[in-house]
Order: sequence, then C-alpha cells, then structure tokens
Amino acid sequence: MKITHTDTNNLKVSALTEITAANAAQIRDAIRAALQPAHQVLDLDLSTVTFLDSSGLGVLVALHKTLRSRGGQVRLHNPTPNVLQVLELTRLHRIFDIVT
Amino acid sequence: MNPTPQPPARSVPCQTFCVESDCSFPAVRESARLVREWLNQWRIDDSETTAWELALVEAANNAVEYAAGPARLKPVRIEILLGELHVEARVFDHTAGFDLPTEVDLPDEETEGGRGIFLIKSLTDSSEYLRGPEGNVLRLRRPRLQPSEPLPLDHTADLEIKLADAERALSEMSEELASSYESLVAMFRYSAELGSHANLAEFAQRLVTDLLQLTESDVLILRIRSDDKLNPFLAHPADLTARLSSLSLSHPPTSVEVDAARNRENVWFGTNHPPEPTDPLSGIGPIGMGLVHPFRFGDRCLGTITVIRTLRETPLSSAQVNILQTLGDFLAIQITNSRLLDERTRSRITRHELEIAANIQRSLLPVSLPSPPPFEISASCTNAGEVGGDFYDVLHIGNSGLLFVIADVMGKGVPAALFAAVVRTAIRSVPGLFTDPAALLSSINYTLCDDLARVDMFVTAKIVYLDLRNQVLASASAGHCPLLVWRPGLAEAVVIDNAGLPLGIEPDTRYSLSLTPLPKGSVALLHTDGISELRDPQGNMFGTDRLRSLLPSLSPGLLAFDQINQRVFADLDAFRARVAPTDDQTFIVIRNAS
Repeated sequence: MKITHTDTNNLKVSALTEITAANAAQIRDAIRAALQPAHQVLDLDLSTVTFLDSSGLGVLVALHKTLRSRGGQVRLHNPTPNVLQVLELTRLHRIFDIVT
Repeated sequence: MNPTPQPPARSVPCQTFCVESDCSFPAVRESARLVREWLNQWRIDDSETTAWELALVEAANNAVEYAAGPARLKPVRIEILLGELHVEARVFDHTAGFDLPTEVDLPDEETEGGRGIFLIKSLTDSSEYLRGPEGNVLRLRRPRLQPSEPLPLDHTADLEIKLADAERALSEMSEELASSYESLVAMFRYSAELGSHANLAEFAQRLVTDLLQLTESDVLILRIRSDDKLNPFLAHPADLTARLSSLSLSHPPTSVEVDAARNRENVWFGTNHPPEPTDPLSGIGPIGMGLVHPFRFGDRCLGTITVIRTLRETPLSSAQVNILQTLGDFLAIQITNSRLLDERTRSRITRHELEIAANIQRSLLPVSLPSPPPFEISASCTNAGEVGGDFYDVLHIGNSGLLFVIADVMGKGVPAALFAAVVRTAIRSVPGLFTDPAALLSSINYTLCDDLARVDMFVTAKIVYLDLRNQVLASASAGHCPLLVWRPGLAEAVVIDNAGLPLGIEPDTRYSLSLTPLPKGSVALLHTDGISELRDPQGNMFGTDRLRSLLPSLSPGLLAFDQINQRVFADLDAFRARVAPTDDQTFIVIRNAS
C-alpha cells in the first residue's frame, strides 16, 4: 500500500492488492493515521485490487464516514471488474464517487 | 495448509478437493485462493470461480471469527465437489453455530459490517447450515454456467454426488442419534428419580458415572457450594476427592472453577490454556482438555462440574456440552430438594420437641382441684402457640390449708417445661415450709439458683397458703404478678404485691410474707403476665386495673362456680378481639362461698 499527499486537500492511496478480513483493520488504521485535518478528498486507487470481501467493504464504508464527517468524500478510482461487481451487488456503489 | 485432492467415495467420475488451514483470516484466504486455482484447472468459468472464491472467503471468515477457546486450535476445512451440473462446497466450523436466515437484507449503507451472509446467499444457488456433534457445516451450491469439455462427468456423476451426500448425512445423523439416545435415556432416568432419592450422595455418584461415560472424560470433579465456598463433594478417580480442598469464592487464589461459579459461565481450559500454577486443577495430573460447568437453580450457582480429558485435546461436542448442562440442571434440582427435605426434617423435630414440652407441661398440672368447703377453687392454664413455661399447682395440706403455686419459667419449649417440672418438684420436696410461703420461696431459690444461673434462666413465682380455719391468705412473691383480693363491700379488688426477686437471680434472697383475710363472699385471683399483659388490636394491655374490676363479678353471690373460667375468658376474649394471645394464660380463682 502506498499513501501519497497529492496536495493539501487530497490524500491518495494506491498499490493495494487485496482488502480482506486478513488486512482490513491495518489498512483502515493506516489511512486514518495519514489523514490530516486539511484533507477533504481521499482518492483510493482500486485498479490493482483483485479481491475485496465484506470486511474490505467495511473499510470503505468506515473511511467514507470519516471523510463525510469533515465535509469531504472518498473517490474510488478504476475499480477492477471483480471489485465493481461486489460494490454493485451490495449497492455501495451509490455512496461512492467512482472514477473510471 | 494441507490441500489434498481426495478420491470420490465411489468410483464415479466426479471430482473432489479438500483443503484444511489454520483458524486464521490469512490462512482461510489462502484456502479460498487454492480452491479457485483448482476450479480453474477444471476450466470452470472465471465468473464462477470468482464467485466461489468470495463466497468461500466469507464462509471461512465466519468460521474463524466465531471460533472460541479450544475451537481456535482446530483447522477450518473446505471441501469442494465438482459435478456436471453443480459445484458444491462445504465449510466446516467449530463455532457455537448460528441460524442461517432464509432471506437476508442488506444492512444500511452506513453500516460497516453485516454483508458477509448477504454475499454468500447472493453468490450461491442454495445454502444450508447443519449443526453436528463434532462441528457444523455450511453447505453451499451453485449451478455450473457451462459444462466444460473434456470433463469426464455426466449426469450419473451428479447423482452419485447426491448419493454420497445422502450416505454421509445419514451416517452423521446415525452417530448423533446414538449419542442422543444415550443422553435421552439418562435424562429420562434422572427425571423419574427426581424427588424420590433422598440420598444426594447416591444420586451424585450415579450422575458422575454417567457423565464420565457420556462426555468421554477421564476425570470428573463435583463441587457443591456452601455459602461462599465450593466444597469438593465427589470426584473420579475416587481418591481425588480427599486430595481436593475447598475453594473460596471471595478470596484468592482464583481458579477456573471459581471463575466459572462467579460468572455462572462455562470455562474451558486445556493444553493451550492451562490452569494457573496456583489453581488446584494444575496439580491433579495431565490435562488435554477441560470444561467447568457451573450448575444453577434459578439465579443461584449451586456448584460446579469439571470434566477433564487427560490426554486428548479434543473438546467436548456441542451434544456433550448439552448433556453436561442438562444433568447439571437435574443435580441442581436434587440438591434443592435435598435441602428442602432437611429443612422439613428439622421442622418436624422441632414440632416433636414442642409436643414433648406440651406433654411435660400438661403433666405438671393437677388432675383435679380440691374444694374444701366453704372454699371453691377454679384454675386454667392455656398455651399460646409455642409451649411456654407457665404452670400452677394446688396442694391440700392435711385439713388445715391449701397451698397454691403459680409460676412462669422464662423461655419456651422443652427447656422451660423441664425447669417448670424442677421447680414444682423442689416446692413439693419441702412440706415443712408449706405454711410459710416466704420461707418456702427462699429455700427453693437457694436450692435452684445455681442451676438456673448456669443456663441463664429465671422463674417468677407466687406461693399462697390458705389457712382454712382462719380464712387467711399468706402469700409471697418471687417477681411474680400481684395477688388480687376482692372482699364484699369493695368496689374493686385490692392488690397484694410483695416485691421480690425472681428465683435464680440471687441465692440468698429473703422473701417477705403478706397476710390477707379472705372472708365470706371474697374472691382471690392469682395469675401470670399472659393475662395482665394481653393486648387489644390497638396494642393496649389488659392490665391489673381491669382484673381488679373483674373480680367482683366472680363473687359467689353473682356467678355459679362452674362459670368462673368461662367468665374470665369472656372478658379476655372481648378485650383482645381477634388478636391472638402471645403468651400463656394461667390463673387460679379462690372463692370463699360460705
């Protein structure tokens, strides 16, 4: 996982391969720790994520709530078909800004 | 990780795959990946393998998340059966189990969890969750999108899978039924025995023997709680009982048995969670697996049953835990019954003691009362509930006089009745002093003082000698209610009160004598405090004044001799209304009817 501060308002997370019960808590905590008060947008690059389970979905929802509480948002970039399918199946695609 | 392609149960063209992993999230994730790779080898459509991978991860994550205690040490097993038309997966877990809902709704979008079962149900065609004695299994099935070539499967293979499934299910059910049957037989037997077994030790011994067999355990410790202690009651092996000591529920050192009793929850222990070195269980020998079950009656923990497998680490099956809990419930009922029986027996003994006391007291009272003309004597002694220490005695002294004794021994029951007998005998043993009640009281006080003081008792008594020829009452009192005497012409009775210490207080007490004439038409009354201290519904006492007013109505000119007792009680009953008397009521009425 790679975390980049693209500008004062944006935090970008990339190079994720899987978000599952095995690593969900660590990913969530690492991103929250990197978030600074000025960050309004969290850009998650999901182009390399090949597997997302319900715990991974829980991480996305948790981060969404964190950003929304400060008036910001989470953007999901280029989710793979598998990940997009899971998001659509659970109808969570409606709460995220999905950028392809 | 242990992936093992397994041959089918029969020689049929179906494929099976099995993988076992540690009970951890990374390990089961790896298992699901291996399943996907195996399915890919069989040219299963990619969308299918993706769905299976996710469904299996969700199922296996649950098996990890909800495994508790020793179950975390057991592997999570995934089996795949690849048929022509369907793929079936079985995920075995060792959790407490759950009820798989038929329909699952998605949680609110803001909720972080709760989507696992939804995904499983969405990604599979059918699902069922079976609980078994050695664990549970989630069975998932979804149709194959396109049969792949050149898989050598045909429709027969699919049927064979079903047949193999049915045989396996049947075998599991038979095994469970056999185990349940033994448990049911035991439960019916205990149910029939409840209440009929007065001997708790015998009941507990049978229960220990049965539980050892039903739970396949090597050691069993039964402790029964008494106040804040867990006392060893029975154990297997038998010599273990003597080596066990009581455990305090309120003081350290703590132990797994104390933890279970305090929290009223089962506590598991074993190779990976051994008892603390200070725990008595750590000294009983090898422990592969152990479980402490606290048994309760209502909210109260009555004791603990600890079962131990010395060498095997395999935990008890859910069916075995159930039978342990059920037989624990039976034991709790039996212990409660036994305690109630003890209380009933104690109550019966107390009642018997009171009967004895009542018999003693009745035997102290005169069978008949002398009535040397012109004097008439009427008396009564009634008990209020428990047997008290009241008694009276009337002795005819030759032709010259009558001796009246009325006394109240402090206390109730057998001791009071026995001392009443002693006092009565002591008085009768000094006939030389009958004509001098003061000297008589001094004498018996001196004789009995040590005995009474030793048991911290005392006696109030009044002794009255009636000189028949001179028609005079000579009276002395040892802390007793006053003598009341009414003579014609008086508005009410006079009080003859000789102050004096009760018997048993001071050995050298000297009592004073009072002489009171009892001329023609007079009435005298001796009584105990059960009469003068009788209470009405408002708590007022009957009092000496009411007795003084009562006496004129008992005079020979107004009332027939045989109506005296009835008249006294009529006044007393009217006063107390429906309030039950709390003390014995004893009185003697002496009339000069000449």
